[in-house]
Amino acid sequence: MAINVLLVDDETSFVETLARRLTLRQFAVWQANDAETAMRILADNPTIDVVVLDVKMPGTDGLTAIKNIKRRHPMVEVILLSGHATLEASVGGMALGAFDYLLKPVRIDELVYKVEDAHRRKAIQEEKIRSLRGVTPPESNEQKT
Amino acid sequence: MESRYQQLYRRMALTGLAVALIPLYLVGAAIYLYFASSLEQNQSAQLQNLAVNRSSAVQLFLAERTAMLEALAHAASLDGLTTPGELRKVLTILNKRGQSFVDLGIIDSGGDHLAYEGPFRLESHNYGGEPWFEETMVRGVHVSDVFLGFRRVPHFVIAVRRDDRPEPWILRATIDSEVFTRLVRSGQIGLTGDAYIVNRGGQYQTPPRFGGEILAYAPFSTTIAPPGVNVVSRERADGRRVLTAFAWMTSKDWLLVVDRDPRESMSPLQQALKIEFVALLAASLLVGGAVVYHTRQLVGRLASEDRNRVATEAQLAHSARLVSLGRMAAGVAHEINNPLAAIGELAGLMEDLIDEQFLAGSPHAALFQENVRKIQLHVDRTRGVTHRMLGFARRMEPHQDTFNVNDVATEALSFIEREASFRGVELDRRLDPGLPMIKSDRAQLQQVVLNLLNNALDAVPDGGMITVSSHATHDSVVVTVEDNGSGIPAELNDRIFDPFFTTKAPGEGSGLGLSICHTIMKGLGGSISFESAANEGTVFRVQLPRTQM
Repeated sequence: MAINVLLVDDETSFVETLARRLTLRQFAVWQANDAETAMRILADNPTIDVVVLDVKMPGTDGLTAIKNIKRRHPMVEVILLSGHATLEASVGGMALGAFDYLLKPVRIDELVYKVEDAHRRKAIQEEKIRSLRGVTPPESNEQKT
Repeated sequence: MESRYQQLYRRMALTGLAVALIPLYLVGAAIYLYFASSLEQNQSAQLQNLAVNRSSAVQLFLAERTAMLEALAHAASLDGLTTPGELRKVLTILNKRGQSFVDLGIIDSGGDHLAYEGPFRLESHNYGGEPWFEETMVRGVHVSDVFLGFRRVPHFVIAVRRDDRPEPWILRATIDSEVFTRLVRSGQIGLTGDAYIVNRGGQYQTPPRFGGEILAYAPFSTTIAPPGVNVVSRERADGRRVLTAFAWMTSKDWLLVVDRDPRESMSPLQQALKIEFVALLAASLLVGGAVVYHTRQLVGRLASEDRNRVATEAQLAHSARLVSLGRMAAGVAHEINNPLAAIGELAGLMEDLIDEQFLAGSPHAALFQENVRKIQLHVDRTRGVTHRMLGFARRMEPHQDTFNVNDVATEALSFIEREASFRGVELDRRLDPGLPMIKSDRAQLQQVVLNLLNNALDAVPDGGMITVSSHATHDSVVVTVEDNGSGIPAELNDRIFDPFFTTKAPGEGSGLGLSICHTIMKGLGGSISFESAANEGTVFRVQLPRTQM
């Protein structure tokens, strides 16, 4: 089963290229250029597993976006991606529930590894919750590139 | 030019000395003046007492002799006294108590001798015209001034008139002037004191000790002496300044003069002055020494604190510059990273597509792959640079990191690799792979190591060698930076960590590098030290405490 990833970055060229590369690597990828669009996509697609989020964006910034994502979709894992990764921002993001952070420009292998890792954690978390509630996992939705 | 610390030191020392010593000297002077004045008053009183005492003694002497002659004139008859041999007996009896009578004479109212007993041949002389004779005839009793008389020797007489006969007669005695002079001179004090008598007209009645004969005139007028007893300061005939007591006698119109050189009796004062001088000198030395010592300490401490403050300010300014440099670097890195990320991803996508899409089987596929790989290689290189810049920016803020010192050394080495390679300087890494992690401020340590590396690079000639090594001891982690440059001259060893000390040409070094390294290492709880040998090189050793993880 493919991992569903939402890429959020204001650099359109970057996000588009990265989306294609991840798609080539069998990920199901959604794209957004700002936090508001990302929230919409997340609301429409509850199967998204991992959000790769730029820290510094016009409008709602990455750190505020994490809060919103974690509040509405607590199971979704967030990986911070930044060209301005001060330790404070990263630590702040981790404290808000981010899975990890990566510095731009990121190697594709590194990103793939981190996304898979995040997905693994999400799966474990979901498994725990299911076993606690005694319910079965929902069917995955339509995938989109 | 004299430094402001020397000026401050001089001003403070002078003020301190003035405040401490002026009151001391004022008190010393006051004590001396008070002592001198009280001694002078004392001397004056002593001299006055002496004059009164001597004057009384002289008057008593005269009164006694006069009374003896009066008693004799009344007790004995004229006939008896003029009997041959009788006067000799009387003179002998009189002189039994003090040899003060030279001769005795009985003179009739016409001035002729009726009888005479004494060493001179005076029987034939007539005294009718002598002043003493006339005075005695008028007053009944008379003590004469000193005069030469018929014998042409200075002397004076005491004469009493007796009126028991129709014609009065006179009993006259000459007083031994040696005995009398001795009596007066008993008032002389010390080696320069004098005591003598002058009459109203200023003639010496007894010889003075200095500068004058009997019957000569004294060099002062007796009018300078008011009635009674007075003490004045005056210059004597021999040029000496003396304290003089004038005492007018009540029973005779004579002035007793007693004088003494006050300096002669000032020896207690001289002694006191000497003691006071020594005490003042000792006190001055003690107080002066204490003032100078404390001022020196104070100014020294001030200068040292000023130096520390300047060094701290310089370090703050340096840190502030580094922080702004870091911010700028962060800004640049961010601006580069975004397009770089896009380039990297685009190149990555191209690489992804080459295998699977349209270039598969193309004769240029290998070249494409190679070029895309190169683009990614350069993106990686640039990423390395921007990540270092971001790391640098981040680490300018104070931090407590957990890290391996080898990573810090490697990172610092990467900054100088290019210049070293350009100059043919070999960088030898001898880093102990088993080094433990430590907890400290990574950025500050990196600044220290980078500084040492830069210094080493400046010290070695082209083609030289810099060795960076690390090792751990039981309680610390040590990094050494060794160069094979010209070494540090031994005489500069003490100043090498001083702020603003540099051996580089003006404008090439601030002289703050090692000072800041020293401050940083102290702040991190570690230390920095060095060993150097001329023409062999220098080893700087940085030591950080091992921390419990």
